[in-house]
Amino acid sequence: MSKVYVNPLPVRLWHWANAVLFVLLIVTGVQIRYLDLFSLMSFRTAVVVHNWVAFTLIANFFVWLLFYLFSEKNKAYHPEFNIVKLTKASMAQMQYYGWGMFHGASNPHRIDPYYKFNPLQRTLYQILMLFLLPLQFVTGLLLWDVKRFSTYVDMAGGVRVVDTVHVLIFIFFVFYMFIHPYLATLGHTPTAHIKAMITGYEDVDEGHAAAHG
Amino acid sequence: MITCRTARAGMNWPRLASACAGLLAALALALPGAAAHAADTKDSALSKEDKACLECHAKPGQFETLADGQQLSLVISSKRFAESLHASSGCDACHSDIDAATHAKEPKKIATRRALAVEMMEACRDCHKKAVTQYQDSVHSALVRAGSDKAPLCSDCHNPHATRSLKDASADEPVVCTKCHEPISKAFAQSVHGSSGDEALTCKDCHHTHNVKAAAFADNMRQECLSCHKDAVTSHAQWLPNTERHLEAISCPACHSPGATRRVNLRLYEGAAPQQSTEKVGVPKFVKVANWADATGTGLDARALWSLLQEFNRNGSAMTTTMLRGRLEVQTGEQAHQLAGKARAVKDCDTCHREGATPFQTVTVSMAGPDGRPLRHQARDGVLTSVESIGSVRGFYAIGGTRIKLLDLLLVLVLAGGILVPSAHLTMKLLVKRRRAQAQAANEHPHVAEPSEPRK
Repeated sequence: MSKVYVNPLPVRLWHWANAVLFVLLIVTGVQIRYLDLFSLMSFRTAVVVHNWVAFTLIANFFVWLLFYLFSEKNKAYHPEFNIVKLTKASMAQMQYYGWGMFHGASNPHRIDPYYKFNPLQRTLYQILMLFLLPLQFVTGLLLWDVKRFSTYVDMAGGVRVVDTVHVLIFIFFVFYMFIHPYLATLGHTPTAHIKAMITGYEDVDEGHAAAHG
Repeated sequence: MITCRTARAGMNWPRLASACAGLLAALALALPGAAAHAADTKDSALSKEDKACLECHAKPGQFETLADGQQLSLVISSKRFAESLHASSGCDACHSDIDAATHAKEPKKIATRRALAVEMMEACRDCHKKAVTQYQDSVHSALVRAGSDKAPLCSDCHNPHATRSLKDASADEPVVCTKCHEPISKAFAQSVHGSSGDEALTCKDCHHTHNVKAAAFADNMRQECLSCHKDAVTSHAQWLPNTERHLEAISCPACHSPGATRRVNLRLYEGAAPQQSTEKVGVPKFVKVANWADATGTGLDARALWSLLQEFNRNGSAMTTTMLRGRLEVQTGEQAHQLAGKARAVKDCDTCHREGATPFQTVTVSMAGPDGRPLRHQARDGVLTSVESIGSVRGFYAIGGTRIKLLDLLLVLVLAGGILVPSAHLTMKLLVKRRRAQAQAANEHPHVAEPSEPRK
């Protein structure tokens, strides 16, 4: 095993801040939407906290964006335009998670500072970071002050349409918050990927690296 | 056929005859049963001509029998007329159409008191153009045009033979409104605005005198509230998130009449227009469905509302797309006047932002009616929480209170998936732990796992 520096400090800070803010947004969001089921805080407190945390999340998003805009490591987010290649690589990754890893197979993806995501992760994070999260920011911003942004709210189809999109993305992120931590335990040890997001260094199997290099 | 018992045949003074004939019509505008006062023809405020008219018309006990059988008092109190603003104009200012030669000889055909009052409004217009123009733009005038026999005419509020200055007239104004709006007047008298002594408001302070608008339509009344409560937006913003949206989508009494029953009224708006559409008087197909839904008590469902919007948007562009927006309001005009002090106003977010909140259990759909008042149709339970509402009621949403149930179900499924998928995967991993370890060891040390060559 050798160590590869794949998570620079700005990325790690952004990641853990994002995690905390996501949890806060989900908790306050659930309180706002399900006032009849939960009483963690008052509705008004939940709304005010939700708004402030959301603005912090938007600011934090720009930490990520600016880092990758000015870092050559943004290759990790470059899309694969060869659909056949992407499909084959994605199928191989799915086969590993669904079959291979139960039979002792090696992870088909080799971690590299410029290629740290496996094909499934890369596709997911492109959608998540470049589409879903910005869309959640926009819908949240419109709902934050419906009157101020009424022109855009109407252009989007009305306040109920905007809210429905916001809630659908919220539901996706709720699912993500269960799946993402679990997938993080699927390294060569259960804590390998988690430690990597703390120290910045991923363990890489040299033999495996040679095989896939 | 009308006969005048007091007309004196043979009168040979054209001016007097003209005025007297005019009074026949003018008397119709006097309140029935008005007390007759003895003629005071020496009153210096009256001209000689007017005094001549009052020679006859100030005498008590005179009346006309109209075509509908009703009796019309012909008595004018000369004292009150002399004190009125109209004294300076004189009788013939309003009754110039009277033919001196025929006055009291050829009885004028008058169908009803109301018909006469409508006819005499033209005389009002001669001097009071602005007021009459405002009146014609009012809901009262629209009701008259729509055939109402109760909507007020000039003479229902103003006695033309006893009209006083506006300053004095205002004291009587609530009485005038109470003629038709008694329950509202009683409610208002108990309210914070009606029971504050010298500072108490009167009807016209909010509803104006002549251009009275349909209170439940558009934002008519909200603007009146904000005209005095200029800091309302600022003061609400201190505690209310999304303040301007709340003030736009909730009528003031919905929170400031704490005991009122509330409902959501869905209204048509064109594009981004800030005001409710006044053009939409319904499409035949929708009206048919709405009337059927009203008659059967089933209410309109989301699909019917969707059809309505499609009818309106058939030829519209994206910028003029008609959509339904909701407004939280109280259910009766009486409740709208039961305003309490702000300490008692509803400030609890829970009132609306929870599932099953009572304001969302009653939903109506309204459109501008021909008289300017909203025509309401009942909407079906669940119209605000069905998934179809995304299309049909996309201009109204209250977090929590009108949330779409299908999204709740989706969240439950996702939660279940979020727990079950990792659990199943982890279980599989644990079940094959030994086999996996062996396979990994074999991968890492392939020579150990390789079978030994058979001895030769």
